[in-house]
Amino acid sequence: MPKPEDKKEEPALKGTFASVMLLGAFIILTWIGVFALFMARN
Amino acid sequence: MHLHRLEKTWLKFGISMLAVFLIVLGVMAFSMGMKPPSEHHHTVDPTKVAETAPFDNPGLNQIGKNHYEAVMTAYAFGFEPAVPLEVPVGSKVDFIVTSSDVVHGFAIVGTNVNMMIVPGEVSHVTHTFDKPGEYLILCNEYCGTGHEFMAITIVVQ
Repeated sequence: MPKPEDKKEEPALKGTFASVMLLGAFIILTWIGVFALFMARN
Repeated sequence: MHLHRLEKTWLKFGISMLAVFLIVLGVMAFSMGMKPPSEHHHTVDPTKVAETAPFDNPGLNQIGKNHYEAVMTAYAFGFEPAVPLEVPVGSKVDFIVTSSDVVHGFAIVGTNVNMMIVPGEVSHVTHTFDKPGEYLILCNEYCGTGHEFMAITIVVQ
C-alpha cells in the first residue's frame, strides 16, 4: 500500500523558480557591476 | 530524496554561479600576486621607523624607466614625505608604507589602492597612473582627533 505522501501532487514551483531566477539575475548584475568598477579603476 | 525538476535547475544555477565567482576571484588573486597579510612579515620596529632604512629617507625614487618607488611613513596625523609627489603619466609606482604609531589607512581616491598601515608591518602596493591629474591619498582608518587632516596628493602630469 502506497504511503500517503506518495499520493501528493508535485507542488507548483513556477513562481518560486521565477523569484529565484530574479534574485540570481540581481546577484549576477551587481557582481558584474562591482567587477567592472574594479577593472576600470585598476 | 526527491527534488522537483525546477528545484534541481535552480540548485545547479546557484552552485555554478558560486563556482564562476570563486574561479574568477582565485585566478585574479594569483595573477595579480595578491597575498594574505600573513605572507608579508616585513617587520619593522614602529618606535625606530625614522632610523630604519628605507624609512629614514622617505620620498620618491626612480628605479627604472617610468618606474618609481615611493617610501612613505604614516603617522598621527600626516604622511611623510609631506610634499606632493610628482610623477609623469604612465608611471608605475611601488608604494612602500609603514606606520610609526597607530593603525592608519592608505587609499588613493579613484583607484583600487586601499590598504591598512599597521605599525610593525610594511605594506606594499603598486599602481600605474595612466591618466594625468591630481590624486588624493587619504587615511581611511580612524586614527585619532586629527584623522581628517591626513591627506597628501600625487600629481600625475
